[in-house]
Amino acid sequence: MAPLTCTKLSVITVTGVLTQIIGLSLFVFGFFPVKPALPGTSGSESFYAPSCDFVGNLSDTTLPSDQLKSLYQELSGIPPSFERLILMVIDGLPAEFVLGKNGKPPNKQFKEAMPYTQSLLASGSAIGYHAKAAPPTVTMPRLKAMVSGALGGFLDVAFNFNTQAMMDDNLLGQFFRIGWKMVMLGDETWIKLFPRLFQRHDGVSSFYVKDTVQVDQNVSRHLGYELRKDDWNLLILHYLGLDHVGHIGGRSSVLMAPKLKEMDEVVKLIHSSINPSQGNRQGQALLMIVSDHGMTENGNHGGSTYEETDSLALFIGLGNHVFDHASVINQIDIAPTLALLFGVPIPKNNVGVLIREAFDSLTEDQHLRALELNAWQLLRLLHAQLSGLPCRNFPCDALYDHQSSGSSECNRTTENMLCCLYMEAAALYTSWKSKSASNKDYSSTAAAYYKFLKSASEWLSGRTTDKPVKLLALGLATMVISSVMLSSLMLRRLREIYHGGKQPASNLNDSMNGWSFDETFIFSVVVILVTCMTSSSMVEEEHYIWYFLISTFYLLLLRKTAQSLSAVGLQSFLMQKGKSGEGYFRVCCIFLLLISGRILRGWHQGGVNWTSLPDISKWLEQGGGQYVKPLQLISAILVISIGLFALFSIESKGKYFQMVRLSFLISGLLVLLHITRYQDYTFSSTNYGATLLVQIIYAILGTATIGTVVALPWLIPLSTSKIFPSDNTISPSFFPRIQEKFPLVELRDSLYVIGWAYILCWCLLQLLLQQAINTTPILLLLLQMVAGVLYFARSGTHHKEWVEIAGFYYLGMAGHFALGNSNTLATIDVAGAFIGISNHSTFLSGILMFIITYASPMFILLSLVMYISTKSMAHLVIPEKANAGDLLMTMLGFPCLVPLVINSILLTAYTVVLLLMQNHLFVWSVFSPKYLYVCATTVCTLIGVFIVAATGFYTYFVLAKRKRKACSG
Amino acid sequence: MKEELEKITPSKISSFQVFLIHVCCGLALAVGFWVAHNVYSINLIFDPTGTLRLIWAIEFPVVILLFSCFRQKPEKCSYLKAIARGLLGLPVGALINALGALALGAPAGLQYFERTVSWSLLMSSLTFVPTACVYGSCWTDWHRIFACTKPKGSLDFMLCLPAHGAVIGAWFGAWPMPLDWERPWQDWPICVSYGAMAGYVAGMVGSLGLALMHTGGKQLKAE
Repeated sequence: MAPLTCTKLSVITVTGVLTQIIGLSLFVFGFFPVKPALPGTSGSESFYAPSCDFVGNLSDTTLPSDQLKSLYQELSGIPPSFERLILMVIDGLPAEFVLGKNGKPPNKQFKEAMPYTQSLLASGSAIGYHAKAAPPTVTMPRLKAMVSGALGGFLDVAFNFNTQAMMDDNLLGQFFRIGWKMVMLGDETWIKLFPRLFQRHDGVSSFYVKDTVQVDQNVSRHLGYELRKDDWNLLILHYLGLDHVGHIGGRSSVLMAPKLKEMDEVVKLIHSSINPSQGNRQGQALLMIVSDHGMTENGNHGGSTYEETDSLALFIGLGNHVFDHASVINQIDIAPTLALLFGVPIPKNNVGVLIREAFDSLTEDQHLRALELNAWQLLRLLHAQLSGLPCRNFPCDALYDHQSSGSSECNRTTENMLCCLYMEAAALYTSWKSKSASNKDYSSTAAAYYKFLKSASEWLSGRTTDKPVKLLALGLATMVISSVMLSSLMLRRLREIYHGGKQPASNLNDSMNGWSFDETFIFSVVVILVTCMTSSSMVEEEHYIWYFLISTFYLLLLRKTAQSLSAVGLQSFLMQKGKSGEGYFRVCCIFLLLISGRILRGWHQGGVNWTSLPDISKWLEQGGGQYVKPLQLISAILVISIGLFALFSIESKGKYFQMVRLSFLISGLLVLLHITRYQDYTFSSTNYGATLLVQIIYAILGTATIGTVVALPWLIPLSTSKIFPSDNTISPSFFPRIQEKFPLVELRDSLYVIGWAYILCWCLLQLLLQQAINTTPILLLLLQMVAGVLYFARSGTHHKEWVEIAGFYYLGMAGHFALGNSNTLATIDVAGAFIGISNHSTFLSGILMFIITYASPMFILLSLVMYISTKSMAHLVIPEKANAGDLLMTMLGFPCLVPLVINSILLTAYTVVLLLMQNHLFVWSVFSPKYLYVCATTVCTLIGVFIVAATGFYTYFVLAKRKRKACSG
Repeated sequence: MKEELEKITPSKISSFQVFLIHVCCGLALAVGFWVAHNVYSINLIFDPTGTLRLIWAIEFPVVILLFSCFRQKPEKCSYLKAIARGLLGLPVGALINALGALALGAPAGLQYFERTVSWSLLMSSLTFVPTACVYGSCWTDWHRIFACTKPKGSLDFMLCLPAHGAVIGAWFGAWPMPLDWERPWQDWPICVSYGAMAGYVAGMVGSLGLALMHTGGKQLKAE
């Protein structure tokens, strides 16, 4: 096989990376479809046919609430059947417990536990449904679905975890707009979703899962009072106890029957209190009992099995119906049904269909009108998703002809089919209206409407849940190819360097030849990680794996140092002062790594299950500001001084260097000023001075760093003497001066300065952006990085270069978790993303959020530039034959390849895991958020490697050009 | 038995002696468990400190008495001196084990202090004390056995393999700790101790096997 050349290496690497990007984007778009949603809220325009008067009457949003209410009533033509609504949410109650399954009555034990509800169902005064919930079957997305009728794609769910308040059009907002007074008792999720909408509320936390009694008593204790009051229109009760019972003991827990009994008592109490009030002061009330999701046999939920999606919808007060056996509806159908029953516009992104039986008490005319309104709303949504919908202008066309849309057309494409169904229904309705016709026309019109609504709803919800298998397979295959490409490239490079036999053997240590223990360990880390990622609890607690493996790696380094320390025995070892100094220095480095690693580990108790255990950050925060603030200041000063010391240790006094130092010194001081003066206020308000200061710091840092990178290779003094290049070196004294024949001393020096510029810039940014409590971890990370670089620089050829870089990469990942990150989206620091931004910009905030979250991996990648400059690469370069390509390949090959290869293996393996787990219980709550993190890590790795490679190439070519000029001139 | 064993020159050690020592050490562990369970009716899960301390109290004298018989250079070093070395090695080894465990993430809170102490005492008697008894503070031997893992002969294997087994077993034993199974044995240092003891026993079996192979090979050669 022909040896790799630099060009070939870089071409293959770039191809591999591009393939990876393509594969990843194919997969992501296949797995997480993003559906377009309509902005804004429905107003009075929703009572007009779409397209004709699409602009609508925008002024109605400013109308006072009671006028708006009467306007809606007038326009809709459907008198509201009820005045008040009691929405009782029983968290986690499977419909099976109340309604049975497949026509069979429910379990005897459960049936006996709910005598009142069962009697209501038997007498026909309650109608029950199996309301199919869409995954993820977790409370917040399900509540959103119930009140808005919309199905969020995963990305919507994921990105809305932090922006708590619900912004989309929803029932509660509509009710609020027509002046309803609302009261909420129970799960505080509602208060987070709808802040300021409730007149009275008493939230309970779902955090204490072990509590099954108090959590419900806190809701019921207000019940008597609220039922006597008559100032509310909507009363929401959210009982969490049943879900907690499930989490503790599963479906067949002994606590289940008593809990159902308790719920039955509540139903009885409410029903008996609203029953006599029929027709009196507040008008009729509708009691609706729903559950947000079901539960598995073990009481868990989140996935998409029948047991979890089988939630309950029970209407009490709709009038008498003969109950044959409960039919199946979708959970989202609740939203349009309630909207039309209470005379508000259907929320804009609703995908649900009216529940037929809810409108049985209305006249035929009103029922058809309700269907028409729902059809218009869905048609609007269809327009948004299918721009080529052929019936776009149909309703405006006065001269439509029923015959023109033959039923043959109805089968060709989805668009045509939906359009044709709609037109059929609309035509039937128009003819029914004109004829004031018979009962037969009515039922066929209603049937036609339902046919359209059902198929439109199915198609629309399918858009958010269907996964294009071909796209996923193609994406995965592409990722596998790129990962194979990159790994084989690295293997080939390894074989050429270590087994090529081109080097003189005397240059090689013993450990360079075999497959040593630390290499096995580094390799097995990847295997262990991939294995662990298949278990949901290991994904949740991933940080433990990283901490454990990285400290094991340090201990292995310690063992390796001990091996090399004293092959000659302790006595002689003590004699040889010079050699032992080196050894002790390395041992000290490892102890520094171990100690700071342990402190970092204890800083944040991350993950999911053990977050409540004590950790250093909690301890400090409990102590109050008097500990956090001084610690932050000391750490910040130390970080700045370490960075400046490294920059000042360059023995050059050129003007240019002074400027670099000065600019970093100034920005460091400004950051300190910001910490002391403003950091307490940044979150409270938009402080103009603070924002300005931060912007100035951004500007200085940016200019200084970019200026250093661009200008340094041009300005660094060239060594005049070509015979003793190492005499002229400016590299600092605490790094070993390797008397090597490194072709370009200037290259090493400029990479050293640029590397420190990157590191210092990044650290200062983090000091500015991270929470106060995270300042010390940044100092510790910096210490770890410096200790690692020093250790590897001193240990010469004891470790293979790729092992060292992989170790750094792992260090970066462990640090990622030490800064308080986890694999849930909840730990992303949103508050920091607005520091120094004067006007709201999602893009800039996104960048800042990325900088905060990926502080540690990016830091390690950036410090690789400095690491390159400290490595002795003399033994790898064949001095006689060394050309530009070989040199660059030796210098940049592994620092670029190793992170790429590790990341691509993890990415590909994790993609496979996600595909395998797509029907797993926790796919939405655990695996998908983790996948988002994996994607972001990929982006981080690519950016970091690009910076390393670009810096290396640029510096080398500029220096080479200058050298040529100097030689010829 | 002590005197009998003492007479034999320690540098050469027969496979029967290896077998005897390993069986004694293994039995001491088992007796420790038995006593804890039947006499004091405690176990590792509900009273880790007490149980570990009990096991250690039974295991440690057995180990120190047995291995002191095989001290290096018996003409220069008396049996009592070897025992003293072992006694001195115990706290040092416990400290190193405890620091290693802390570095790998053992909880550092005060409520875990007693558990950590008793665990590291047991670990020290499994890993550190035997070598301290046999080789004292001779750096070359320690370096050979623990840093390079290049044991020579049955005696080295007898020291090296169980010790490494215990450490590696403890390392693997820590893996279930972060999982959310909510089992009481996931607490520090219960599963780690189980892992360490399992690794120790495995190491003893390995060392015995090697000793048998060694002598078997020699006999074959002799024939």
